[in-house]
Amino acid sequence: MVEIKNLTKYYGENPAVQDISFTVGDHEVLGFLGPNGAGKSTTMNMITGCLPSTSGTVLVDGFDIAKNPLEVKRRIGYLPELPPVYPDMRVREYLTFAAGLKGVPRAERKKQVENAMERLHITDVQKRIIGNLSKGYRQRVGFSQALLGTPKFLILDEPTVGLDPTQVMEVRRLIQDLAKDHTIIFSTHILAEVTAVCERVVIINKGQIRAEDTIANLENSMPGDKMLKLKVEGDITRITAILNETEGVLSVEEVEYEASGVNSFTVKVKDDNVRKPIVASLVAQDCMVVEITSVHSSLEDVFIRLTGSGKQSRDDEPAKSADTGKEDA
Amino acid sequence: MFSLYKKEVQSYFLSPFAYVVSALFLLVFSLSFVRGISTMNSNVMKFSFPNIFYNNFFYFIFMIPLLTMRTFAEERKSHTETLWLSAPITIPQVVLAKFLAVATVYLIMLLLSLFFPLVVFWHGSVVGSSLLCGYIGFFLWGLVCIAVGMLMSALTDSPIIAAVLGEAAMVLVLFLDNFTSTQFVQSVKPLHAILSWFSTENRFAVFSQGLFSIADLVFFLALSAVVLIWTIIVIEKRRWSRG
Repeated sequence: MVEIKNLTKYYGENPAVQDISFTVGDHEVLGFLGPNGAGKSTTMNMITGCLPSTSGTVLVDGFDIAKNPLEVKRRIGYLPELPPVYPDMRVREYLTFAAGLKGVPRAERKKQVENAMERLHITDVQKRIIGNLSKGYRQRVGFSQALLGTPKFLILDEPTVGLDPTQVMEVRRLIQDLAKDHTIIFSTHILAEVTAVCERVVIINKGQIRAEDTIANLENSMPGDKMLKLKVEGDITRITAILNETEGVLSVEEVEYEASGVNSFTVKVKDDNVRKPIVASLVAQDCMVVEITSVHSSLEDVFIRLTGSGKQSRDDEPAKSADTGKEDA
Repeated sequence: MFSLYKKEVQSYFLSPFAYVVSALFLLVFSLSFVRGISTMNSNVMKFSFPNIFYNNFFYFIFMIPLLTMRTFAEERKSHTETLWLSAPITIPQVVLAKFLAVATVYLIMLLLSLFFPLVVFWHGSVVGSSLLCGYIGFFLWGLVCIAVGMLMSALTDSPIIAAVLGEAAMVLVLFLDNFTSTQFVQSVKPLHAILSWFSTENRFAVFSQGLFSIADLVFFLALSAVVLIWTIIVIEKRRWSRG
C-alpha cells in the first residue's frame, strides 16, 4: 500500500505540489492525470525518493521514504519521464547493470533480465547500443529496467510518450498484464489511456488534487445535460433557426465546419426523444442530415472541467464536483 | 555498489575516452622522457622518473578533469541520475563507486607509463625505491585531483564546464604552492604555516625523493575524503533543489 499524506513541494517560492494526499491499495492501477506542468512528475519523483518533499510523508508498505529510503526503494520500480538509459551501453549490459544496482542477487540477474526483455519485446535488440535505438525502443528499455528486482510497486511516468500507436496498445496491454501482480501508479495526460487501464484516477492541476474517484463515478458526476451532435448540409443561419424552433431543443451550443457545405451542430436537448422531430423538421426544410450522434459526458469533459483548461469561468466549480464525486464513492 | 563501479570502469573503455586520455598522458610522458634522456649528460639536472612527474604537473592536471568531467554532469544532462537516485543505494555509495572507478582508470594510465622505466631497466639501472615512491606519490596526488574534479562535475550539468572548473581548481592548488613560497607569505609566519600545510607539491616532493611518509599519505587520503564528502553534500543539496 502506498499512502501519500499532505505531500508538498516548493521550488524556492513556487509551489509545485501542494498538500496532496491519496492512497493506493495493493493490486490497484491508479491513473494520475493532469495537464502538462500540473506536478505529476514532481509527485512521482517524491514517491520514488528522487526528490525530497518540502513537507508531508510517503509511506510505502509502512516504510517512510524520508526515514527508510532503502526499504522503500527496494519495493519500487520507477520509469521516469525520460528513460534513464546510458546511450553508450548495450541493452543487455545496461539491464544487467541495473539489476545489480537494484540488488538482484548475481544468480538471478540473467533470468530477470531475460524476463524483463521478453515482456517488453526487446530481446532482439539486446546486443545493440542504446544510443542507436529509436525513441520507442529506448522507452521500452527504460520500462524493462523498472521491472527488475521484482518490485511490488511500479511508478510509471508517462510510459507511452514517444511510442507509435501499436506500441501504445502493447504498453497498455502490458500494464493490464502487470496489474495482476503489481500495484501500479501511472501518470499521463492522454485520457484514452486511463479509460483503458485504470479503475481509479487522481486528477491533479496546478499542484492540487481536483478529483479522486473511479472513472464511472467521475463521469456520472457531470451535470446531466443531453447533447446531440448533428452534421447537416446547408446554410448555417437557416439550420440554426430551424433547430431553435424545434420543440425540445434547449440551445445550439456550437457550430463547427465539417466539409464544404456541411457543418456540425452541437445541440443541447431535453432528452433523446427529440431526435425524431429534429430530423423531421430539417428534412422538411430540405436540409440533408448527414449524421446524428448523442454526446456522452466522458472523462475528457470531466478532465477539462476539473483542470479548467477549457473556459476560465468554470474555475470555481471543480472543488464542488470533486466533492460530490467523493460522496458518491 | 560493485555493479556501479564495474559499469563506470567499463564505460571509460567502451567509449574512446580512456584511450584518448591515456594516449595524451603517454605522449606528454614520453616527450619529457626523451627530453630528460637527451639532456642527461649536461649535469645541470639529474634525470629521474619522479622528476618527470614533478616537471609535468602542469600537463597532468589538465588530464584528470578530462577523466572526471562526465562523472556527474553527464548523468544530470542525460537524466540517468534518476536510475541510482531511485535504486536502493545511498549517495555516499554512488560517490565512492564513481571515485574508485576513476581511480582505477587513472591507475591503469599510470601502469601504462611503466613502459619507460622498463626500457631504462633493460639498458641501464633504475633506482627502485625512488621510482616506486614517485609512483605512489603521484597516484595519491592524483586521487586528490580526481576528488576535486568530481566535485566540480557535481556542481554543473555541462561536462565541458566541469572540466574547465576542475582545471581552474587544480591550477589554484598549484598556484598555492608558488604563493606560499613568496617573500610576503613567508614573512607572515602563521599564514605561511597554514598555507604550507595545504601545499601538495612539497608533500609530493617527499615521495619523489624515494621516501615514504605516512603523514603525507594520510594527508592525501584525508584531503580526498574531505572533497568527496563535499561532493556528497553538493549532490544532496542539488537533489533538494532540482526541478
